[in-house]
Amino acid sequence: MAQREPLITFDDVSYRYLGSKRYVLQHLNLAIHGGEFVTVLGENGAGKSTFCQTLNGVIPLSRGGRMRGCIRVDGRDTQKCTVADLAQKVGIVLEDPEAQLFTTSVLSEVAFGPENLGVDPEEILRRARWALEVVRLSGYEDHPPTALSGGQKQRLAIAAALTMQPDILVLDEATSQLDPVGTVEVFSVVRELNQRYGMTIVMATNKGEEVAQFCDRVLVLHKGELVGQGTPREIFADPALFEQVVIRAPQVCQLAHYLAERALPLADLPITLDEGKREVVQLMAGAPAPGPSQEETEPVASSPPSPSGATGCAAGGAWNSREVAVLVDDLAYVYEPQGVGALKGVSFAVRRGEFVSIIGQNGAGKTTLLKHVVGLLLPTEGRVIVDGVDTRQTTVAELTTRVGFVSQNPDQQLFAQTVEEEVAFGPRNLGLGEDEVKERVDLGLRMAGLEAFRQEFPPALAKGDRAKVVMASVLAMQPRIIILDEPTTGQDYRGSHQIMQIAQRLHAEGCTVLVVTHDMALVAEYAARTIVLGQGEILLDDTTARVFAQPEVLRRTQVTPPQITQLAQALPRELGLPGNALTVQQLGQPIVRRARGEPASAAAPG
Amino acid sequence: MRTSVQYVPGETLFHRLDPRSKIVFTLAMTGLIFVIQNLWVAGAVLLTLVGFWSLARLPVSVLAQLGKATIGIIGFLFVVQALLYPGETVLIQPVIPHCVPVVGGIGRVTMEGILFALLLSLRLLAMITVLPLISMTTPMHLFTLGLVRLGLPYRLAYTMTTALNLIPILQAEANVIVDAQRLRAFQVFEKGRFLEKLRAYPSLVTPLIIGAMRRAQLVAVAMDSRAFGASENRTYIQDIRMRFADWAFLAFSALYVGAASAANYLA
Repeated sequence: MAQREPLITFDDVSYRYLGSKRYVLQHLNLAIHGGEFVTVLGENGAGKSTFCQTLNGVIPLSRGGRMRGCIRVDGRDTQKCTVADLAQKVGIVLEDPEAQLFTTSVLSEVAFGPENLGVDPEEILRRARWALEVVRLSGYEDHPPTALSGGQKQRLAIAAALTMQPDILVLDEATSQLDPVGTVEVFSVVRELNQRYGMTIVMATNKGEEVAQFCDRVLVLHKGELVGQGTPREIFADPALFEQVVIRAPQVCQLAHYLAERALPLADLPITLDEGKREVVQLMAGAPAPGPSQEETEPVASSPPSPSGATGCAAGGAWNSREVAVLVDDLAYVYEPQGVGALKGVSFAVRRGEFVSIIGQNGAGKTTLLKHVVGLLLPTEGRVIVDGVDTRQTTVAELTTRVGFVSQNPDQQLFAQTVEEEVAFGPRNLGLGEDEVKERVDLGLRMAGLEAFRQEFPPALAKGDRAKVVMASVLAMQPRIIILDEPTTGQDYRGSHQIMQIAQRLHAEGCTVLVVTHDMALVAEYAARTIVLGQGEILLDDTTARVFAQPEVLRRTQVTPPQITQLAQALPRELGLPGNALTVQQLGQPIVRRARGEPASAAAPG
Repeated sequence: MRTSVQYVPGETLFHRLDPRSKIVFTLAMTGLIFVIQNLWVAGAVLLTLVGFWSLARLPVSVLAQLGKATIGIIGFLFVVQALLYPGETVLIQPVIPHCVPVVGGIGRVTMEGILFALLLSLRLLAMITVLPLISMTTPMHLFTLGLVRLGLPYRLAYTMTTALNLIPILQAEANVIVDAQRLRAFQVFEKGRFLEKLRAYPSLVTPLIIGAMRRAQLVAVAMDSRAFGASENRTYIQDIRMRFADWAFLAFSALYVGAASAANYLA
């Protein structure tokens, strides 16, 4: 970076919200130069959003509270400006695509800002054309914002900020609620703004892998303090940091740490897929060549493979409700009155005790499918049998004793004044006696680790805890089948794993678990079987390992395997490493063995 | 399924009118409906409004739903007015004879009572058809601009039109919450009796309001970030213009309201 005055400086900045005693930001000292692409990492609650909102003055000018220290943007003290002034220097894009779109057409959305500033209409139209071109939404001027996809909405929000011609663009977890496609779209626009137009970018995010590829510098926040800053490579090379702050590093970094712990350090820390490939190849160059009987081995599967759905129970053969938890038989569903076919000829069977993930792009029909399993929707054609009961012949309430559903937004599933009452809500509705209800509440709270929160007001809890309250509430109804719809969206690394671990515990106790998610690393780690949906049809239904081994099919529904699997697939066959590793360990262990001259897998072939 | 009074795109005459003329029309009709005492005039006004509804090619289903929503109130009105209105023409004799002190005379149904109930119902139905006529034929930003050009400060005008738009958002949100409750075996909103539903409302309203407040806070941040309310001289990329059709429409409205009022008072 050229030696010039920084564009943004923080001078011993601390801040607490109105009515709160806790300082959400503490003694921040940092500088950001023009043209930099800075990423802010940290757990939920670390202060990332607060930090973002101090940059355009919303904090403290609009939201009040107490700010100490001084923030300067382009030389001006933010506390001495107005938000309108700062809006022309700093544009902001927020996490929730819906909350930041106020008008009824794309064009009026991007015009909203400059109109408020009193800019000449001709000039506004000129800026709007440019902004829509940059975000690749030209031609969408008359579309209502609500009809856009998640990625398109966030790109629109970027355009709406661009028309005010800021020098700095702040993105506050702008990709947390997007699917992988939308995330890539947003990152690519932001990157272009930085590289081609020289815009300064400050991006708060949880997505380590994207961060590594795009940014110049990383700031790590923990409990309001700056606990680390440096290039992505410097940050991800510091394992001590990850003890303190639980954030997700790219899987290739995790692999490097895994190998380093076993005295096999890579020459340079890789942070991207290509670097990972280069480093592993270099490492293996020193290893003895694999023996003639060594071929690509299959890593130890986490559980035995299950039969492909289509040839399984649905094909008119005898199926046993004691064996089959969920049977979907030639299901078709059409949304009236548009006549849109959301599901076509979907058939599969889930046996008791399976842990299945359902993946596919947004709009593929995943949520529609889940709604059929819990009875919220009834099939247009075909049938859905849950726990031996046809969904058309029972009620949603009756099904709740068999299948529990945790849907995406916890805030829409909290109805009570205390956590305890919330968890008791379901069992009480089932008409159970008070003693039974109490037992179930205790059990639910214990499973979710929420005993300490019994009397808390659920909406006041942190995001991860709210999700756990919903899970506890569903568990209290003791269903044998649990469905989770995108349980980790908007959660940080720690929160995501806590939720998945509850699911895993339930699975260990014999529950059947179905999870819909976009997080492929979690799919690889937790689900033995994966069903891939694309445009209302099943594209793949197999063990997770075999599913991820078919990236061409996955591409049709905009899914890419986890980074570690991509790495495994990219490595040359001659290295004798498993091409379908699902986790860091599944690739790391064979590498260690091969480097020592042992066969890649523990079991000898033949 | 459309359940709200949001904008329906279209090219009808009604759609193309300047929002100002539509706003004035709405105010005039509302005023008229308030003062109507004559049954025939009330019926005529309602028919006119329904006529405009079809002229603007608005979905009949919404009209039907609006009607359905008021059935409860209308039924209530009929019962109350029929029984309590002090009329002369008795249709049904009182259940309790007059000679009984205090409660004597209860159960008497009069013709006047029923007619009065009919009048109130027609006025009610007319009232709920007027506002959707404008909200469904005018995009929100033009509605706001219309109010501004009529003299309202921008922030107030924006708040009012946004409030209209909130209805479908809250409805959709409420549906999601009701579904979430069904998934915890709570069936009161599907199958419960009226009193049960009433007692259950807090469990629906609490998450709805909290969700709305959360969203409002986010929206406020977003709007501030786009300099909402920053300039006294706000500009607009799309402007509105009163044309011949608008003046004609206003003239028509004036004549109509005049004639209806006259008929109302003369009768």
